Formats: sequence, C-alpha cells, structure tokens
Amino acid sequence: MTELAGLEQRYRRLLAWYPKAFRHDQGDEMLGVLMAGARRGQRRPELGESADLIRSAFVMRFRRTGSAADGKPWSDALALFSLVAPLMLLLATVLEMAVPYHLPSPSPRYPRPLPPWLSFREIGGLRLLTVPAFDITLGCLAVIAALVLLGMRWSAVAAIAGTAAYWIVSGGISLPFPLQALSVAVYLLAGAALLASPGPRRGRELINWRRGIVLLLAAAAIQAVTLMYDAASSIARQAYWDASPITQVTHAGGQTTVTVSRVLSPDLTGYLVAGAALIAIAIGLAVAWKQGRYYLLLLGVTLYPFALQVGLSPGRRNSGEDLIALPTPGHLTVLFLPPLLVAAAILIDAAAPRRSLRLQEAAT
Amino acid sequence: MQEATFLILTALAASSQHGYGILTNVNEISGGRVRLRAGTLYTALDRLRADGLVEVDREEIVEGRLRRYYRLTPAGSDLLADEAARMQANAQAALSRLRPAGGMT
Repeated sequence: MTELAGLEQRYRRLLAWYPKAFRHDQGDEMLGVLMAGARRGQRRPELGESADLIRSAFVMRFRRTGSAADGKPWSDALALFSLVAPLMLLLATVLEMAVPYHLPSPSPRYPRPLPPWLSFREIGGLRLLTVPAFDITLGCLAVIAALVLLGMRWSAVAAIAGTAAYWIVSGGISLPFPLQALSVAVYLLAGAALLASPGPRRGRELINWRRGIVLLLAAAAIQAVTLMYDAASSIARQAYWDASPITQVTHAGGQTTVTVSRVLSPDLTGYLVAGAALIAIAIGLAVAWKQGRYYLLLLGVTLYPFALQVGLSPGRRNSGEDLIALPTPGHLTVLFLPPLLVAAAILIDAAAPRRSLRLQEAAT
Repeated sequence: MQEATFLILTALAASSQHGYGILTNVNEISGGRVRLRAGTLYTALDRLRADGLVEVDREEIVEGRLRRYYRLTPAGSDLLADEAARMQANAQAALSRLRPAGGMT
C-alpha cells in the first residue's frame, strides 16, 4: 500500500510539469492510466516514462501558449502591454526631467574660469530640453502614448515606425543612455504587441487602478535606478572631485596644480535602497494582485536591456562606460537579443495560421 | 499521419475506449510492436480533440478516480477511412511491384 502511495506521489510530481488548466482537466484521469499501467511492486516511474511525461508536458505548455493567442491570457497580456509600455516609457522620461541628479558645486577655491563640464549643475532635468533633438524625441514618445490611449492601433504602429526611422536617419536617440536601452526594447515589443494582439482598445478594458499603481511604481523605480547610474557616472565622479576641499593651488610654468585634502565620493546608497525598495514593492504588488504571468514576462523582457545597461556600466570605470555609447555588435546582441527574440516570436505566432484549423479543413 | 495517431484512431474505430484501454488496444493492434506511453497518448488526444477528430463519449468514476471514454467524431472516422484507403493503395502498389521481382528469383 505504501509502495503504491509512493508511486502515485511520484507520478503526481511528474504531472506537476503540465499546464495548470490541463492538470485540472485531465491530471486525475492521467494518473489513473499511469497507475493502471504500473507493474506489481513498482515503486518509481520508469526513466523512459518520466522522460515521456516531461516531454509531453512541455509540448502541452507551448501548445497552450500558441492557441491562447485566439483570445485568452496571452493575447490579453499583449493587448495590455501594447497600452502600458509606451505609457511607462513616457512616464520614465518625464520623471527623468522632473527629478534630475544634482551635481555638487566646484570648490569655491577652484581656479576660474571653470571648464565647460563644470557648468552642468545636474544630470537629466530640464537641461535635457537643450540637448539637440530631445524635444522631437519627447514629442514622439507623447504622440505614441496618446495614440495607444486613444486606442488607435495602426496610427500607433505608424508612429513607432516613424520614430524608429527618424532615430536611424538622425543617427541616434537623444535620450539619456539608460532610457535609450529602455525605449528600443519598448518599441520593439510594443510594436510587435500592437500588431499581434487585439490592440490597445482591449488593453484599455483590462487596465485598472491596481495596474496603474504598479505602472507608476515601475516608472519611479526606473528613475531611482537611473539616478544611481548617474551618481556612479564619470561626470558625477569628476564633479565630486572638483567639489572636494582644496588645500593648495599652485601656478608653475603656466600649469595650475590643485591639491585636495580628501576626495568626496558620490553617495549611491540612498538611490540603491530606494530603487531596490521600489522594485520589490512593484514586483510584490504585481504578484499579489495577480497581474498575469505573460504580462509580467513582457515587462521583464522590456526592462532587461535597461537593467543590464545600468547594472554593468558604472562598474566599468571610465572606459566604455556605456554599452550603447560605444556599441559593438556584441554589445548590441547582449543588450537586445532577448527582446528581439520575444518580439519575433510574438509576430511569428500571430502570423502562423492555426494548425488545428488547417487540419480540420484537411479532415472535412 | 503519424503511426501513433493512426493507431489511436484505429483503437477508437469500433467502440469508445478509456485512456488505458487505448494503450492496450494500440499494443494489440500493432501486434505488440508499438507500446504507447501515457504522455504521448494524452499529447495526441489533446491535439485530436482540438482538431475535432476525437471527442469525449462519457465519464465514469472508478475507484474514486475519473475515467473518461473517448470516441471518434464523424470527421475522425472519415479521416481514418481515407488514411486506411491511402495506406492500402500504397501497400497494394508495393506488393504488385514486388511480385514480378519475386518471380524472377
């Protein structure tokens, strides 16, 4: 009896690999078949049988993901994402302007006139409006966000294509580096989602105040992490050096030498803690409020290039500070391959005719 | 059509069967050559049901466990008949071509 119970328990564990809906519908039935086929005294599943069950479970998972695009969780996740992603990018950009990273003033004893980089008092902020083409980029972000809010799917696709074309022709995106990484991923995935899903109109039906709160938290986390990135940047490090108390200034042979007693260092801790807390709260609420696995997966893939850019760059002192600033094919592959693959998968899945329909036609 | 699919449809051709019944039937039909495993069976059944070739006939509770009986739909019967006819024609063609060769030796 205990042998049977042990075998059943092991089969149950294997059946846990199947999608929940399938398990709910047929798990018990399959368990009956497996137990009926067991030999006398069998204590554990055969190796071949276990492999067959796991393989079958994976086939089932992929099949459900594909067929769900006809109007269930996957397509709803895409519709919601096509609405939310452009809004998140716009929010993050507005926050970048509203909450700049303040640089310290150079030490009062610093030799005047100041070199040009010391005239910056902040990274980000309203100063961004003076960066060439930033206003055009901001306009594009706002137009795309407005179009998805209005539920105008094809106009939004056209606006994304137009923005991408403008960026390619003008030779770059005039957003700060972390937001560049985010915007490329957002437009890749949001473009695919707009094409492959029922569209942002359906997304509007699915948005609610809980999703709004998670969206706001995500945008705030993006800004907190960006500020940490700013604090670790070479500009900030230089500014802190220049702000350090000067003990001696000597002029010799046309050269000015500045000696400082101790170099101040930018404080990352506050931003790190704030960013981590915001991320933890956003993820916690998203999971607690059951916002949907596929939707969270899409958001995760979108944020991946941003997280990588921010996470790796400050560690690489001075040289090659930004993965995008000195892009090699390897950098770009590492940054954008995951969102590119997911976007391609979304489009291929939507474009492929439903296999079951084809077979049914063949059968009749 | 894959052999496993063909054998599952054949197992259901005469009467409705439950999962374990299909497994033993397939084994018999193939003369013990094909031994389907449960995972493969239910992957195939899921597809066949989605394609409208097989449907649930009835459900029973046996020893506290759900037992579902499956049967062919008319579309499933037609597809199996077509496939069997195609296989028969192919087999006949093969045999008729082998006969003269067999006569020579």
